[in-house]
Amino acid sequence: MEIRALLSALWRSKTGPLLVAAQVALTLAVVVNMAYIVHQKLSDAGKPTGMDFGNMFWITTQANTPDFNYTAAVKADLQYLNALPGVVAATPVNNRPQTFSNMGLPFAADPQTLLNPNGGVPGTIYFGTDKLIDALGLKLIAGRNFDPNVIAAPTADFGTAMAAWAPEMIVSQEMAKKLFPKGDALGKTVYAGLINKSAVIVGIVERMQANPLPSQYEQFAVQVVLVPIIAPGPNGSYVVRTKPGRRDAVMAEVDKKFGDLQPGRFVERIEAYDRTAADAVEGYRANAIILSVATFFVVLVTVIGIVGLAAFSVATRTKQLGTRRAIGARKFHILRYFLVENWIITTSGVVLGCVLALAAGVQLSRMYQIPQLPLYYLVGGVLLLWVVGLLAVLVPALRAASISPAVATRTV
Amino acid sequence: MFFHDLQLALRSLRRNPFLSALMIGAIAVGIAASMIAITLYHARAGHPIPWKEDKLFAVTLDTRDDGPPESFERHPEYPPFQLTYRDARALYASDIPIHSVMMYRSGQVLSPDNKNIKPFGVTTRLTTADFFPMFDVPFIYGSGWARAEDDAPGAVVVLSKFINDKIFGGANSVGREVVLDGRPYRVVGVIAAWVPRPKYYDLNNWGGWEIPEEVYISFGWYRALRLSPHGNVNCVSRSAKIEGPDALLTQECVWLQYWVEFRNRSDRDRYQAFVDNYTNEGRRHGRFPRKNNNRIVAVQTWLSMYDVVGDDSRMQLALGFVFLGVCILNTLGLMLAKFLTAAPICGLRRALGARRSDIIRQHLIEVIVVGLLGGAVGMALTLGGLGFLKVLMFSARLAHSDNPDRVALVQSFVHMDLSVMLAAIGLSLLTGVLAGLYPAVRIGRLAPATFLKTQ
Repeated sequence: MEIRALLSALWRSKTGPLLVAAQVALTLAVVVNMAYIVHQKLSDAGKPTGMDFGNMFWITTQANTPDFNYTAAVKADLQYLNALPGVVAATPVNNRPQTFSNMGLPFAADPQTLLNPNGGVPGTIYFGTDKLIDALGLKLIAGRNFDPNVIAAPTADFGTAMAAWAPEMIVSQEMAKKLFPKGDALGKTVYAGLINKSAVIVGIVERMQANPLPSQYEQFAVQVVLVPIIAPGPNGSYVVRTKPGRRDAVMAEVDKKFGDLQPGRFVERIEAYDRTAADAVEGYRANAIILSVATFFVVLVTVIGIVGLAAFSVATRTKQLGTRRAIGARKFHILRYFLVENWIITTSGVVLGCVLALAAGVQLSRMYQIPQLPLYYLVGGVLLLWVVGLLAVLVPALRAASISPAVATRTV
Repeated sequence: MFFHDLQLALRSLRRNPFLSALMIGAIAVGIAASMIAITLYHARAGHPIPWKEDKLFAVTLDTRDDGPPESFERHPEYPPFQLTYRDARALYASDIPIHSVMMYRSGQVLSPDNKNIKPFGVTTRLTTADFFPMFDVPFIYGSGWARAEDDAPGAVVVLSKFINDKIFGGANSVGREVVLDGRPYRVVGVIAAWVPRPKYYDLNNWGGWEIPEEVYISFGWYRALRLSPHGNVNCVSRSAKIEGPDALLTQECVWLQYWVEFRNRSDRDRYQAFVDNYTNEGRRHGRFPRKNNNRIVAVQTWLSMYDVVGDDSRMQLALGFVFLGVCILNTLGLMLAKFLTAAPICGLRRALGARRSDIIRQHLIEVIVVGLLGGAVGMALTLGGLGFLKVLMFSARLAHSDNPDRVALVQSFVHMDLSVMLAAIGLSLLTGVLAGLYPAVRIGRLAPATFLKTQ
């Protein structure tokens, strides 16, 4: 193999190859880091929620008269919803999961911890009845559901509801682990900060990701505390889960009837839950698409650069190549020459690119508060650019290989 | 001379259409990527009220317990961005500012007189009277209410244009009645279409990328109506006790936005002393456990403290420029290749008496033509890309609202204004020159004799 001749030929006209190497370096830095960020965004968007959105919908109501009897309305609404054929469970809620409305308190096994600044474990709170875990489609993995008898009539406002609290709670497994690392959460008493109340953990659900939050805030999404309280009015929010395949029919029925069921209020909105969940991650997905498309184009432009350079070098060396063929080089040798030349250019770019990629990775992980760029992304990026580089040079190299030896005998 | 060069440039571009198309294409996608990124960034990085930059200030006090920062806090040194009711009330007594505003966002139900329109939910801002003059809110009809209405709140309401159009058909509704949550209010003013970007005076709800509220009533109504805040309520001290309806009035929970306007700089300094004095006094009674960290900040500082631009926009901007860099390198290489293939012609021109500067100028004209053509194609790509992004990023936020302000807000994210367009033209020229300068000089430098030889 004529490596030394190849290198010295490269060195004699180095500007073009240097430019391609610089492109490859920047492209590697972009591809590796964007792939990592896109992966982060999609994994933030695609985490299991633990809920059965495909069979769920929600409905919100607003009162339009000051004398609206919320307590009576909730009771009647729940009776109506839960009796509808096809409905598995319906519950009132304080906030709807996946809408980024949150209510939380610090919790701890030891009330003393809660007096320290930032002490305790943050828990996101959902109010509901004994139908709550069924309405959300959560999987109870230990203990039992709420005792229907502990659910009191709704209070006038949230301050009073929090102060009244409830004797029981069901927590997500993540929350149970944080509160009781030894894994013996069931049956334990947990204290809530800011309200000075306690409740016993009667059940544990496998997972509930309340909202698709970025990974650094994930604790606020998955550390969930369910409390048997009917959220105060006068505006109502209900979550309903149906049997598989029945949701749209039930929703249409409820949409038609619900507004007139109670005087003094109207339906503000009713929405299928998979729609709500999709909207909640719209931002992540949009960003992932933007970054992916841009990265694809960066690679494409670099491919164009490689093709352009190789085509140019084939064009200017036509006669040389013809001469080489004439004095005995085979097509394979010419092809190999261009592939190796290109590989050397790409590789020098890749080496520089690795440094750039790591430097950019440090910056990004600081900015987005995500873990350092894993090295296998870098390995993947290097392999990708090698393959792309070789493929890009293949067409011009094949053309070079097919130059007829007769060219050598012609003048330009 | 110029036209001759232009002719030569166009002829040269036609001679090698594939390579020319690649160059123009590379510049076009580079320009498009960077312009889209600049547009998205520019839309978020603007100043919503620049003419009041040295007059308008947000007020924050550090009410937090003294302790280690939470792990997820990026700037644990910043105080909470809202005030407690108690502190807002106390600061409101100061007459150093010419305007003071305490306020929050909530929601109500509006029941129109016209029975053809069903009752519907509206967003409500409960604010003190100075809101309107302080933030230069434009009115179509009437005005805000008098300060006297703040403590003994009158049943008066200011409507947004959207609501006035919806229930009064856009007529002058001043003096007419609007029923909110079953209680009648008299309209005193109607605001013109007004969408400050960002909504700097209240960064709750989408980090400030939200439209203004639909109706405005006096802050004094909080005590009577107890409308719950539709924003962040943060009980920042573990000494807070939530026990009953008065928690927000009495406890260490922050939920109110607080802004002031000063006549001049020295009033601001006097006010800082006043606020520091207030927290010093409070510390003597066991409040404000941290050192004084009372920040009275102008809009620009405020927006950067709470990062309304956001990492994603910054990332897109950086990516856009790296992209452009790759495209410039690419075009540079292609341009060099193209010029060198055409070297014999230049050699001939040199041999026939053209000066080196003629050759360089001729090639520079060619690269500028390539840059501008790339810029033009890039602009078309930019507009197409922005249209696509609007659908991609904001369809959910547009789906459930008939409020034109929301459409305007979303439109503004992907709107290319004059300054961005001028930047695009400048950028494409710069790109052409950056990519073409070296090849042009290099081709001019080669001795004519080398050109005339064959390979």
